[in-house]
Amino acid sequence: MKRRMFLQRSTAVIGASALGGLYPGILSAQAHENTLRIAISKAAGDLDLLKHYAIWAVQDLMFEPLVKYGKGGEIEPCLATDWSLEDGGTTLKLTLREGVTFQDGTPFDAAACKWNLERWMGTEKFEWMSCSKNFESVEMVDDYHVNIHFKAPVISLLQELSYTRPSRFVSPNAVDEEGNQVEPIGTGPWRQVSASEAENVFERYDGYWGEKPSYERLEAKVIPESRSRVAALRSGELDVIGGFWIAPLSPIEAKQLEDAGFTISVDPGNVTLVMGFNPDRSEALRDNRVRRAISLGVDREAVGKAFYHGYARPAGSLFSDVLPLSGQQFEAPARDVAAASALLEEAGWTGGPIRSKEGKPLSIEMVISPDAVPGLRIMSEVMQAQLKEIGIDIVIHSVDHATKHTEMLERKYDIGFFLTYGAPFDPFGTIVGLFLSTFKNDVEGKLYTDAEHLDPLINAAIDAKPEDTEAELQKFYDWLHDNDAIAPLLFVPGIWAHSDRVAGFTGPATEYDMPYENITLKA
Amino acid sequence: MRPLVSLVTWLKGLPRITVVTVSLFLFFGIFGPWIAPMDPSAQDLSLMGQGPSATHWLGTDHLGRDTLSRLMVAANTSLTSVGMVLAIAMTIGITMGTIAGYCRGWVEDLLMRLVDVGLSIPSLIISLAVIGIVGPGYWSMVFALALAWWPMSARISRAVAVSIMNKPHIEALRVLGASPLRIYFNHLLPGTIGSVMVYATADAGMAAIAVATLSFLGLGIQPPTPEWGQMLVDALPYLESDPRQVILPGLALTAAVIGFNTLGETIALNRVPKRLSRRQLLTRRMEVAGWHKETSDAA
Repeated sequence: MKRRMFLQRSTAVIGASALGGLYPGILSAQAHENTLRIAISKAAGDLDLLKHYAIWAVQDLMFEPLVKYGKGGEIEPCLATDWSLEDGGTTLKLTLREGVTFQDGTPFDAAACKWNLERWMGTEKFEWMSCSKNFESVEMVDDYHVNIHFKAPVISLLQELSYTRPSRFVSPNAVDEEGNQVEPIGTGPWRQVSASEAENVFERYDGYWGEKPSYERLEAKVIPESRSRVAALRSGELDVIGGFWIAPLSPIEAKQLEDAGFTISVDPGNVTLVMGFNPDRSEALRDNRVRRAISLGVDREAVGKAFYHGYARPAGSLFSDVLPLSGQQFEAPARDVAAASALLEEAGWTGGPIRSKEGKPLSIEMVISPDAVPGLRIMSEVMQAQLKEIGIDIVIHSVDHATKHTEMLERKYDIGFFLTYGAPFDPFGTIVGLFLSTFKNDVEGKLYTDAEHLDPLINAAIDAKPEDTEAELQKFYDWLHDNDAIAPLLFVPGIWAHSDRVAGFTGPATEYDMPYENITLKA
Repeated sequence: MRPLVSLVTWLKGLPRITVVTVSLFLFFGIFGPWIAPMDPSAQDLSLMGQGPSATHWLGTDHLGRDTLSRLMVAANTSLTSVGMVLAIAMTIGITMGTIAGYCRGWVEDLLMRLVDVGLSIPSLIISLAVIGIVGPGYWSMVFALALAWWPMSARISRAVAVSIMNKPHIEALRVLGASPLRIYFNHLLPGTIGSVMVYATADAGMAAIAVATLSFLGLGIQPPTPEWGQMLVDALPYLESDPRQVILPGLALTAAVIGFNTLGETIALNRVPKRLSRRQLLTRRMEVAGWHKETSDAA
């Protein structure tokens, strides 16, 4: 074989191989042309609206509520176009949207609405929701008008009706005789085509009543590990990653993706990271001067910088102002070592480098679970160093997610960390769940309780007339602030990243919604 | 003077890489907290993730702490933890192994079945289970690892003890009326400890990895104490933007493990009167590999 011929043939073989290698890529790009690929951190689970297992954001794709929780807590029409509260807040009159069908063709009307509401309202399982606890009956006025009667006025009724589960609507034909949901058929813009442990695939429901997505398919791909999600976004296997619950993206990963040319979307966040004190276990923490000193001794800006790299805002209030009824925003306390030290001296904690009182060192155990709250280890190390400067010895006790729940319930901590529930549950979700002593919380435990002082304020806010709710809630916020019962640290941001294939991305109204709206996909 | 000379002669017989890495590990392990140029826990968030400079020779970590100081003090943490784990594990293992080797019969059967149970469960699983029950922390980590580590030293101790007990001088001692305690403490135990210590040397590297693994999983050393495994996991998010933070503790850990492994191997292979040449060492290694094969085939 001549040299030239050899070179020609070799080039041809190499060229053919290269084209062959590119072919699957070209095919793949064509296959995904009209598909949004979004990461979820775990399998979507059982999508039954009456069970507690599924990823909320996946259910959000198929199932719709009567009213929707919009940005800033605005209640927007969805399956109900109009509503009014009558009889002193005990009757909710609803006008249902006409022309809506479930994805199996079943019409959504008053009968379907009544059937759905009666599946869960008034049952013991959903007593944790005020509307279910106070439920009396559902009355069908005509095909598109329904009245729901309650025994007593329901606090945050419309917010509760916007929850992903159990409040949303499933086709009556998708439920078996025993009441189990056998198919995930709702009225939403997406219809599930297939589901596995690896991914859930949806196609656009063309009979959707509202604005249809501009693309035809949506794939929710299960990638449990954060760095793998980032790698998948970089390699073009995914279009969108992020969200606090959906597929968390750490701030440092977001920075790295930003540097690599990906678009980062940061929502101000409606969840607050709060430092909780346990005065029942730590004698020192019974003194609110010590609690105040700790709050003043922590540099929130620095804590936020260490993990959130500037994405998180320091918090002074329990709730961010993006939430309704969040009350007057208290300024986040600036770090003041002199003031903190003076407070500790006044409380009788003297000496150094670790202060002591009656021979007992000021040693406080801080229980953290980086699995439950990403970045908590780094933040706790920063706080440990900062509090050491004012003479407090912080002993960090790191536990896994499951142990964290046990220890929080059994109150085996001096200082623990809590996340507020966020939209659409707050403010009352967190207030009742984490502060009302008479409400049993078997999941997170209690952030702070005081049956004598705090419970009456909470109950007054719950029982207040709508026009008085804000004022009553403010009394509760003021009490927490004045007594240094808690130390809000940061408003946790919702961080998202997407490829340049995605245009028009906007963060969802709540951390439980899937951000598919307004997106257009570039070819 | 004579012990020093014999130590130097012994060291000369070891591979240089082993001498350097193990000596550095021991040096920083013992003196690290005193010679570290800065407080390893002192944070300066304005210097987060800075590269090497005149002030910070190996740069700073994600919280602005001096990496060199943290590496030095982490050597101390690792050395102390590994020492404690091995001391506890060897104490339990040697005690059980020598009792089994001395008593034989049903006592040996009982103790060795216990060892079999211990060996059948992977050490990390045992450690995780113990920490799951006791809760994470320094002492629970040491306790958990010691519980996972003792069975192998018990098995080796028993084998050595059996061979010692079969030697003629033990027979002679018995005939002369030596008490069981005298035979056990004066003859059996010292002979067994010597042999098992060789195994302990080789195992120190694996124990260092186990300590780092548990810290990597957040179940071992708690902040602010620096530890290589913890430094690795803390630096992992910065692998792309600042690989130095991952590479440095990774290198330190790798060097320590390789050092101890080669030290253990060299001591084991050199336990003959004359030091072996490279070719002899290679032949011996192949021979040992053959034994392993024979054992597996037999099993």
